[in-house]
Amino acid sequence: MNRTCMIAMLLAAALAYGCATKKGFEKPGFAFGCPIGDAKVSSMEDLNKLKVVTEGKRTTIVATEMRCTMTGDLMKIDVNLNNDSSKVKRVAYKFRWIDREGMRAWEEEVWKPLLMYESSNITVSGVAPTNKAVDFRLILLSQE
Amino acid sequence: MIDLSHTRRLALLPLLTAVALAAGCAQVQTRYGDERSIETVTNQFSSTDLQLIAESMTRSMLQSTAIASGNLPIVTVQEVKNKTSEYIDTRAVTDSIRSELQKSGKVRFAVDAAAMQQQVEEVERQQGEYYDKEQTAEKGRMVGAQYRMEGNIISIVKQAKDIRDVYYKFNLQLWNTRNGLLEWSDEKEIRKTTTKG
Repeated sequence: MNRTCMIAMLLAAALAYGCATKKGFEKPGFAFGCPIGDAKVSSMEDLNKLKVVTEGKRTTIVATEMRCTMTGDLMKIDVNLNNDSSKVKRVAYKFRWIDREGMRAWEEEVWKPLLMYESSNITVSGVAPTNKAVDFRLILLSQE
Repeated sequence: MIDLSHTRRLALLPLLTAVALAAGCAQVQTRYGDERSIETVTNQFSSTDLQLIAESMTRSMLQSTAIASGNLPIVTVQEVKNKTSEYIDTRAVTDSIRSELQKSGKVRFAVDAAAMQQQVEEVERQQGEYYDKEQTAEKGRMVGAQYRMEGNIISIVKQAKDIRDVYYKFNLQLWNTRNGLLEWSDEKEIRKTTTKG
């Protein structure tokens, strides 16, 4: 009887923990594996807003999904970009790497040109050049 | 009464404007630009291509087991063969890759074949009587590389009346010098199309 009760209690606790911790937010200070610091991020949309910056001309290309992981001691990022329009779009992107102190961890990357077909998605990847890079921004620049 | 001089002056005005415009167009202007911007002046091998290749290869190599193991492997740079129809300074590409890898702090580089002559000359120069024997570089102290980096670049060029398409493929390999095994290899592809009109 006691054992059954204990198992039921443990199951309830596990379920409660599972419900309380939203998927992608298991680790404090991280969302979907990406560092967020003290920023209020409660969805993938919030994360994209925090990490994606547009420079120069506005582009209609948007980041829809982002995942971060570690490969050895280097941060690796996968970002899904979406072209919702009915036209082929050209955009350039680069990652900006930030260190623990909020300073640039590496020199500016080269702009990488990208051609996106109409109504298409593409995943761009970035790997930190150094283990000093603990945060990042994805910069987009329209090439239209 | 018509003022003739005024009419003549009015007729001269468009002419003077045209001359001023032409002079303005002919004016040469030099400005500093963004060295990392996308360069599309022609569709030949460009600074952007060099930077894209160097960055892509470096980031990929940093994830390889040979480099990521953290043992500070010693690498030597060998030739990157230019198999394209145009002149490409492949040494500039490998120099950029070497600099980025060196800065990452995960790799050490041994003197390569191209710099060997200078290295030998310097060691021999230090054997001279003018140098303090305690501090001179001794013969037989150089460290051999555990890995050698080599590669090639090819291009496929297609041209029709109003279109020119260039495809580049850069391939880089990291070979284990002790056992001859290929430890890492990756490619970077670039396509550029120029159309007229």
